Amino acid sequence: MPKVTFINPDESRVELDVPVGTSLMRAATAHGIEGIVGDCGGGLTCATCHVLVIDDAFLAKSGEVSANEDQMLDFTAMGRMPNSRLSCQVVMSDDLDGIVVRIADPQL
Amino acid sequence: MTEQLDMTRAPPVLDIDPFAVENLRDPYPFYAALRDTAPVVFIPAHNMYAVGRYEETRTVMTDYARFTSEGGIGLSDIRKPGAWRTPSPITEVDPPRHTPIRGALTKVLSPIVIRRWREVFTEEAERQAEALPKNVDLDAVRDIVQPYVLKVFPDVLGIDMPREYFLPLGEMNFNQLGPNNDLTKRSVADSASILEKYATYFDRSSMIPGGLGEQIYAAEDRGDFAPGTGGVQVRTFLRAGVDTTISGIGWALYYLATNPDEWAKVKADPSLAKNAFEEAIRLSGPASCIFRTTVADMEFSGLHLKGDTKVGCFLGAASRDGRQFPEPDAFRVERESAGIHMALGAGAHICIGQNIARLEAECILSALVRRIDRIELTGTPAVHPINTLRTLETLPLRLVAH
Repeated sequence: MPKVTFINPDESRVELDVPVGTSLMRAATAHGIEGIVGDCGGGLTCATCHVLVIDDAFLAKSGEVSANEDQMLDFTAMGRMPNSRLSCQVVMSDDLDGIVVRIADPQL
Repeated sequence: MTEQLDMTRAPPVLDIDPFAVENLRDPYPFYAALRDTAPVVFIPAHNMYAVGRYEETRTVMTDYARFTSEGGIGLSDIRKPGAWRTPSPITEVDPPRHTPIRGALTKVLSPIVIRRWREVFTEEAERQAEALPKNVDLDAVRDIVQPYVLKVFPDVLGIDMPREYFLPLGEMNFNQLGPNNDLTKRSVADSASILEKYATYFDRSSMIPGGLGEQIYAAEDRGDFAPGTGGVQVRTFLRAGVDTTISGIGWALYYLATNPDEWAKVKADPSLAKNAFEEAIRLSGPASCIFRTTVADMEFSGLHLKGDTKVGCFLGAASRDGRQFPEPDAFRVERESAGIHMALGAGAHICIGQNIARLEAECILSALVRRIDRIELTGTPAVHPINTLRTLETLPLRLVAH
């Protein structure tokens, strides 16, 4: 199963196995990673699952940013960065095996 | 086109009127029949298709290329002769035209803006929860939910309409999205005297400084909305935000009262209050039916659908589909429901005010859970029959506190 690594605001790291087709947000909330809130459950209305994708190669493979995600990324609690994504929109695939994301701080 | 269709594969007829009062009071037999009969059924009484299985409901709600919102989100087609209302400039527009309009409203209702309301909601929720009489019989709808939502939401919006206008207008709006049956006719008649004054409350000059309404007009001035549509945006937002939230919080109290083990979990961990609300709207979502229109004849889930026909999406049926949710009828505050259930719609038109509703619910439920040992039902709750809104009329209960 492909793996993701979340870097918490305190620099600790959590590595998770994520089934293909599951979003990084769901993977994080299912494992109690507190920095990922995901209030709206992936509906692109809350902007509380903000992450920074560490490697540009993974960023390129992490999927197209839709118009709605692009709008919501302007309203994250931590300012938007060039490598910002909402993790509810990043769906695990074999291509993303090994992806590392930093959890935005603050998230709320 | 129609002649070429193999009508043996037309959606089967389901001869039930979902908008008959008995089916609005207790929709579950209809929902079960809808899911069990076929992926899509045809309801002759209203010349409409209906979907209630999870997958099909989600697809019809989201796939605007095949199922448009531009015919209106109610049963009547707003593009046809005799259309009696103006299209909503946000809910009844498809992408890509919808995208910048939604973007402008997203800016006004952004998570950053909503977060600022937390303090205001918390303070009001604490004040009202503290003032509620404990250990006596109450009607939670009249005594808890309505006073709270009718205080905080109009304040957020920054409009000053008499509080007693809200509920009849909401009832009328949600009836009108269904057929022009006795419920619709009666609620229109009941609101007639209010309607004359109604529009003036959405005038630019009526907006209270600091509210979202004022921001919406400012967005219109910036050119984010078409000139002259600011007032309709404010009205759409009000329509969508009051009765629905009252419904959701009412159902949350209902399910917490009837599931004492789940209440105990929230009592032990008040952060579960949000999930309780989410589960409640999954089981009894506010918007019961939202319509789309088929853009052309098509093949869908192995059936032939005719074009230019309304499809009723029964969100409450989809959110209790056992194909998607194990033990679909059970209220489980630990279930992952948000973003999966259909209560807030899905796709480009997913409820834009959901963060406000969640925040309202979270604040009042946690204010109650901290003060109350348990909630006891003291009578039989009654559903308020409204064509496209599922809400409680009364919820007799007692807040037990020692």
